[in-house]
Amino acid sequence: MIATLLSGVRNDILFTFLAMTFNKGGILGKTFSEKILGLKAGKEVQAGEVVTVSPDYILSHDNSAAIFEEFKKLGTRNVKCPQKLVIILDHVVPASSEQYALNHKIIREFVAEQKIQNFFDIFFGICHQVFSENGFALPGKLILGADSHTTSYGAFGAFAAGIGRSEVASLWATDEIWLRVPETLKIEIEGKLPSGVYAKDVILKIIGEEGADRANYRAVEFTGNAIKEFSLASRLVLANMAAEIGAKNGYFEPDEKVLQWLKERAREKFEVITSDPDAKFEAVLKYDISSLEPQVACPHTVDNIKPVSEVEGEEFHQAVIGTCTNGRFEDLEVAARVLKGKKIHPKVRVLVIPASRQEYLFALKKGILEILVSAGCVILNPGCGPCLGAHQGILAPGEVALSTANRNFRGRMGSRESKIFLASPATVAASSIEGKITDPRKFL
Amino acid sequence: MEESVLSGRIWVLLDRKERLIEDIDTDQIYHNAFLHITELSQMGQYALGNLEGWKDFPEKVHSGDILVAGRNFGAGSSRQQAVDCFTALNIGLILAPSFGAIYFRNAVNSGFPVLKCAALDELVAKKALETGDKIEVNFRSGEGWDISKDISFKVEPMSAVQYDILKAEGLFNYGKKLGHE
Repeated sequence: MIATLLSGVRNDILFTFLAMTFNKGGILGKTFSEKILGLKAGKEVQAGEVVTVSPDYILSHDNSAAIFEEFKKLGTRNVKCPQKLVIILDHVVPASSEQYALNHKIIREFVAEQKIQNFFDIFFGICHQVFSENGFALPGKLILGADSHTTSYGAFGAFAAGIGRSEVASLWATDEIWLRVPETLKIEIEGKLPSGVYAKDVILKIIGEEGADRANYRAVEFTGNAIKEFSLASRLVLANMAAEIGAKNGYFEPDEKVLQWLKERAREKFEVITSDPDAKFEAVLKYDISSLEPQVACPHTVDNIKPVSEVEGEEFHQAVIGTCTNGRFEDLEVAARVLKGKKIHPKVRVLVIPASRQEYLFALKKGILEILVSAGCVILNPGCGPCLGAHQGILAPGEVALSTANRNFRGRMGSRESKIFLASPATVAASSIEGKITDPRKFL
Repeated sequence: MEESVLSGRIWVLLDRKERLIEDIDTDQIYHNAFLHITELSQMGQYALGNLEGWKDFPEKVHSGDILVAGRNFGAGSSRQQAVDCFTALNIGLILAPSFGAIYFRNAVNSGFPVLKCAALDELVAKKALETGDKIEVNFRSGEGWDISKDISFKVEPMSAVQYDILKAEGLFNYGKKLGHE
C-alpha cells in the first residue's frame, strides 16, 4: 500500500519535470542520465554535478550479512524504506561452509525482523536474472545494488549502478545517497550479426577495442540498428558487461520488446525516460558487426581480446556455461544446438548453470537440459556457481577454464596459477567437444 | 601538520620490469576466498594477497604508509573488502593515475583517502618516486612533495563531496549532516 502511494507521488513529480523540460524547448539536449538524476534530485542537472537522490530499489545478495554488520554500527534500529530492499541469495547457494551458512542465517533473521518483503532465498537464482524476472528492473527507475553487474538493468531502460557495502548500509538507514551525474559515451552498433556470432562476441569486441577503463565514471548508452534486433537476453549481455569497461550504467532505450516483456511482470507503474535527440554525449563510438568473428577474452584481463582464430587449439580443463552474463534460455539453447547428439571431450568437464529457476524450468520443459546431460554436462543449481571462485568447480594450479562469465581476473575461479578464457555459449559448447578452443561456426 | 596534508612512506607497486602495475583488480587486492569475512580487523592480512610479487605486503607495511599504483586501480567487483583491507592496515593514502569507478566511490564513502595523479607513470619511470621515499600531499591544493628527493608534483585535488565525507569520517555521518542542512 505504502509502496503504491509512494510510486504514485513519484510519477506525478516525474510528469511535472518532464513537462518542464519539454516546455523549455531551447535548452533541451540532456542525456538519459542527466534527465533521470535531475528528476530524482528535483532540479535540472548536468554531467559533472553531484546530486543527492533516493533510489527506487536497493539490491543486495549474500553480502547483505556484511552490510548488516555496517548497518548495526550506524546505530539505526530500523531500515528506513524496507519496501525498497530486494535481497536475493545467489553467490554461494546452498551454503558451502559454516561461515556462509551463518551469513545466510543472519540475513534470514534480518529479513524477518525488518519485514523485508522482497526476499528471494537460495532457490530462485542469480540476483540480476531474478530481479529482472520479478519486474523490479523497470524503465526510468533508479536502481542501486551492492554488486558491480547491477548495470544489467540498463537493458530495460533503468539507471542501474553498482555501489559498495557501506553505501548500501547507509541507504538502508537514510534512504539517501550522493551520485555524480556521469558523462555519457554513446555506443552505436550497426549491421547484422553473422551466423555463429552473438551478443557476447559484440561486447567482447567493444571491451577489447575500448579497454577496461574507457568508461570509468561514465555512463554508456547502447544504440544502433543492430541492437533493435537483439533479444532482451542479448541486450542483458551488453548491459551486464558494460561494467567491464568501467561504466556506471549501460542504458538501452526501451522499445516494444521491453514493454511487451514487462506487461505481465512490472511491479509498479513506470515512465520511459530517454536521451534528448540533441543530447550532448562525450563521444560516439561506432561499431559495425556484419563481419565480426567469434571473440575470446584471454587471461588475465577482460580487455585482452582476440578473435577465436588466433586462440584456436588452446586446451582447457573446465567449461562453464551460465552466470548472470550468459545463463538464460537462449544461451542454453544454443549450447544444446551445438552439443545435440555429440559427446563432450573426455578430458573436459562442462558445468551448466541456468541463471534462474524460471530459465531452468523452461529449458527442462523444452528438452534442452536432456540434450546437455546426454552430451556429458553437469547441471548445477541456479546461482553464481564457480564464477567467483567460492565453490562448485574451483580451479587447481595449472588448470584452464573456458567460461561464458564476465570476468577472467587472475585467480578469480580458484588458484592464482590457473587461467580463464571467456567466450560465447556457442564457442564454449563447440570447444567442449574438441577439448580445445574451437570456432563454433563449424558446428552450427 | 595541516588538516589537508597527508604524509607517509610510499610503496610503489611495480612489476618485474619496474613499471607501475596497471589494472590491479579487486580479485588481486582481496581474493574471493575471504569474502565471507565481515570483521574489518581480519581483512588486513589478505591485502594484495593475490598480486604477483606482493603477497607479503601486509607483513612489510607500516601504519600510515602510502600506496602508489598504476592506472585503473580497483577495477572489477564492488566488494568493499578491497578498500577495507587497507583501512585495516591503516594505510594513509592510495595514489594512482585512475581508479575503478566503484572502487573510488567505496573509498570516498568509507572516508579512506584516494587521490588521482595523472603524471604518476612518468614520475615513477624517471624514479622521482621510489619505494621508501617519504612524501607529503596536500589534498586540497593538489600539491605533492617527495621529501626524500625534494621533488614536487601535482595531484588532482579532492572534490568537495570527497573532502566533506573524509572530514565527516564516512558516508553515514556525512548523510546525517546533509539532513540537518
